[in-house]
Amino acid sequence: MRRIEAHPILEVGKPKVLKFYFEGREMEAFEGETIAAALVANGVDVFGKTEHSKPRGFYCAIGKCSSCLMIVDGVANVRSCITLVKEGMKVRRQIGRGEVTW
Amino acid sequence: MVKTDFLVIGGGPAGLCAAIETSKRDVKTLIVDEGVELGGQLVKQTHKFFGHEGFYASVRGFEIAKKLISQLNENVTVKTQTTVTGIYEDIITAYDREKDLVFEIEPKYILISVGASERFIPFKNNHLPGVYGAGAVQTLMNQFKVLPGKRVLMIGSGNIGLIVSYQLLQAGAEVKAIVEIADKVGGYDVHARKVKRLGIPILLRHTIKEAIGEEKVEGAVIAQVDEKYNIIAGSEKEFAVDVICVAVGLVPSIELASMAGVQIQYIPELGGYVPYRDREMRTNVKNIFVAGDLAGIEEATTAMIEGKIAGLKVAEEITGQNLDSEIERMQEELVEFRSGPFSEKVRKGLERFFPQEMMSYSKTSQQDLGPVGKLRPVIECYENIPCNPCQTSCPAGAITVPENINSLPIVDYSKCTGCGICVMKCPGLAIFLVQENFQPDRDLVIMPYEFLPLPEKGQEVIALDREGREVARAQVVRVVKSANKTHLVHLSVPAGMGEVVRSFRLPKETESFVCRCEEITVDQVERAIEEGFTDYEELRRYLRVGMGPCGGRTCRSIVLGILARKTGKTLKEIGFGTFRPPSMPVKFESIVKGEIENEK
Repeated sequence: MRRIEAHPILEVGKPKVLKFYFEGREMEAFEGETIAAALVANGVDVFGKTEHSKPRGFYCAIGKCSSCLMIVDGVANVRSCITLVKEGMKVRRQIGRGEVTW
Repeated sequence: MVKTDFLVIGGGPAGLCAAIETSKRDVKTLIVDEGVELGGQLVKQTHKFFGHEGFYASVRGFEIAKKLISQLNENVTVKTQTTVTGIYEDIITAYDREKDLVFEIEPKYILISVGASERFIPFKNNHLPGVYGAGAVQTLMNQFKVLPGKRVLMIGSGNIGLIVSYQLLQAGAEVKAIVEIADKVGGYDVHARKVKRLGIPILLRHTIKEAIGEEKVEGAVIAQVDEKYNIIAGSEKEFAVDVICVAVGLVPSIELASMAGVQIQYIPELGGYVPYRDREMRTNVKNIFVAGDLAGIEEATTAMIEGKIAGLKVAEEITGQNLDSEIERMQEELVEFRSGPFSEKVRKGLERFFPQEMMSYSKTSQQDLGPVGKLRPVIECYENIPCNPCQTSCPAGAITVPENINSLPIVDYSKCTGCGICVMKCPGLAIFLVQENFQPDRDLVIMPYEFLPLPEKGQEVIALDREGREVARAQVVRVVKSANKTHLVHLSVPAGMGEVVRSFRLPKETESFVCRCEEITVDQVERAIEEGFTDYEELRRYLRVGMGPCGGRTCRSIVLGILARKTGKTLKEIGFGTFRPPSMPVKFESIVKGEIENEK
């Protein structure tokens, strides 16, 4: 795990734990954190692939660079860095530009 | 359709300060912010701010965010997780991510305070996961308490690169080096000193050449550059890192301003393309204001002041109150904050919009080191940065920052009581208390400390100098905990070292040796394996483990065991390396002597 357990300046509280799924795998997240933070905490660095099969992570974490787009509950192009993770959420890697679902 | 008097787009320091001013004057204000909480970049700043008390000097960024948010009143409506997607002639559209719908806003006045985005730079494999903007690393570690990796290479030595490096160490990561393409450090000297004395090298005239890895970052190649910033062939160096943190600057987010008809100009000193605005933060579009990093890349304090000015002006026009004197006071604050040498660029940039004023300040620094033998502060603050908490926090009135906050601090040693409050308060962690010969043959150094674990009284530590070099063993004689988390550690150092020691590290808990000849510890072997030396022969060449007089008879099996454990391979897969003559050390003299004998 990459969670910081003690910090000299910041309080590390005990947030509520919730479960979500990444590529079908059950993972734990903290309530109030973004999908991106939860994935990194679980050791996931590759958030998707480009159209040319290059692995993608995220770059800015504030919703500006659009590198973190993922498929969340079936919807493509979700900015995982500014979207809160929710109980039972199904997160998948996005390959290329993502498909529109109706 | 949402109607409001005042729409604030972006709830960072500028937007919040504007909303505080308007809401105080009963102006219906709506703050729309893209993030999951208000505060903008303040929420991830764990360092104490420079400046003066009026703008939260010596308070940590995330605490400033809380203080600002607490000043909003019932006239403010907040919509987070919402992005303004368009500013049209008659209407504004915003996308609410939670509800997954676009709605319309009709405001009388607008402040665009959307900040900036992270600058990106081209280098080979820069697409790899593990290449992060500095702000992203801060978001992960300081907002969500998650570390993106263990070993980091920092690109850029501006204030952000320096601060984030220090924060990475606080969070428990390792920073291998800070790479800077220019021939001098970009950020404040006090920030550079903070990381240098912890042993992080700042490599000037270097740049990143490539990221190594297939699926994610596993290493980085840097290289030296010549005067024209071209890479010097053959100067490449490789680092085993899992994060490459890019801190090469910010780009103002001008999209909304531009589509709203605000005139955009290219002013490199302000960060590139920036919107036009006047002294009151108003753009060429009468009801649109800008403030903060969008109006020019600066720092959070000036963003707060700009936000206040915009908020005051909007309140004045909506309520009809005369707020000119308050606006003028804020404009004077801006002049004061921008009078120092670090704001020269910003002043030059803003000169394109309206004439700039400047306050003169004192460049005279402390000339003496004070009375030897008396417990007293040594202030290692040599640049004119706008900051004065040392002065305002001193209960004895012993420290003066003359004229205005840009001057250098001067200590009146006759008044100083040696209480240490200035050490705790100084945002640059640049003040130390020193006393020569406080005990026979021992000097006392009291230093600020912001790491875990805190050492204990009586503990022996390794004292480091300003460059992070080990210079002595020292004893902790006292630890004074502070509410602001800048604790004071009192170190007893050998006489004469009081002027040298500026930092320390805790000794490794246990030093279990693997190789007694070369003094290589278990810890060193494990770290080398983590860095990627996963072959016995590589380890031998890298650490000299097994290359001492015993020829590896003592340590070979232990190293192979650690390798097997760390890599998950079997001993059979790892092998046992190569044996070469001589099987025991033999003097060259003996060899030569034998040759001579032979020839006879």
